[in-house]
Amino acid sequence: MSLHPADAAELLVVSAEAGGSAAVAVLVGNAESAAAGRRFAYTAARPGAEAAVHGSFGSDGLDRAAQTLLEGIVADPRGRGGLHSLSVEEESCEVYVEVRRPVLELVIVGAGHVAQPVSHVGSLLGYRVTVLDDRPDFATRERFPDADRLVRADFDDPFRDVPLHERSHILLVTRGHKYDYECLIRALRMTPPPGYIGMIGSRRRVRATYVQLLDEGIDRTLLDRIHAPVGLDIGAETPEEIAVSVAAELVMHVRGGTGRALKDVERVAGRFFPESTDT
Amino acid sequence: MTHEDDLTMTQALREARAAGRACALATVVDTRGSTPRKTGARMLVDPAQGLVGTVGGGCGEAEVIEAAHRVLASGVPERVRVDLTAELVSWSPAVCGGVMDVFVEAVPTGEATGESGPS
Repeated sequence: MSLHPADAAELLVVSAEAGGSAAVAVLVGNAESAAAGRRFAYTAARPGAEAAVHGSFGSDGLDRAAQTLLEGIVADPRGRGGLHSLSVEEESCEVYVEVRRPVLELVIVGAGHVAQPVSHVGSLLGYRVTVLDDRPDFATRERFPDADRLVRADFDDPFRDVPLHERSHILLVTRGHKYDYECLIRALRMTPPPGYIGMIGSRRRVRATYVQLLDEGIDRTLLDRIHAPVGLDIGAETPEEIAVSVAAELVMHVRGGTGRALKDVERVAGRFFPESTDT
Repeated sequence: MTHEDDLTMTQALREARAAGRACALATVVDTRGSTPRKTGARMLVDPAQGLVGTVGGGCGEAEVIEAAHRVLASGVPERVRVDLTAELVSWSPAVCGGVMDVFVEAVPTGEATGESGPS
């Protein structure tokens, strides 16, 4: 039986929220055929759940080909959705594939005035946002209306209640470098490492933190994993502007961009309307 | 599509089905050149509730909505090619310089059809 579009959409959402990956193929080639719009889904194995297929195109051959295609796309971190063709014996047909990877997490450590706009922008970008602080008056619902989780933490063991993994994007905006240090020493020793570690601070404060980490035996090469001072250079001054700068760096980290102005990357004026050289 | 968009669309599909309302779902399955939305953008045309999501607005979206009404009437899916390249010298909001392929399908009503499960 085909999968209803609502069930297919739900599979993708539930899987992403549970930290898994899933893909759905929809038959779109030859749009007027009776099979067009049929769906077949694959949900990848994750802790606590086995890999599974859902729905059917109404042909065993097509289902097998679809399963192979979807497994391959999900298993490859660079695997992309979009149009693909399924070949069964002599025939081939076109499917549109949607892939969902686990929801990205943004863990903001320190619930001060920069954390607030970062939490907003983080939710806007689709991150599951956790705000962590040791002071009960700071990580509050009033101050962080759209954060997914507010955690009261102790800096002796800051991530005790916040499990970190490859999809965790950690942002340190604490009120002192000893707190940054406590977080970094743990984050840097994790395997696999968290997806991103950013830390706000002046050059001086960042340097002081690095000195302490090196003294504690952290390998010099690990320091390169830390994005500090955090953010892209856009001249940000206010907490809101800093949040935009940090968010821009996060997007760049996930999507892979240059951080340059598109104007300079594309050079539309210079490329298509070169200045005449004879003036 | 962000996770937030996914949640909104899933909710809308679920509600329409529970209420037994016929809807049409439009999905951008391919784009070339510069287009307002990219592959994966979705729009649900729910005659009773209006539009959920967008495939880019403007004339292109109007074409898709027209197709959605045809699909709702016939039940037969369509593949619509929205060409946004034609009017490059006009001031039309559709001047993007790209082409979008949109798959438009009727969403079955009621609780029928395949629940997820091993096939």
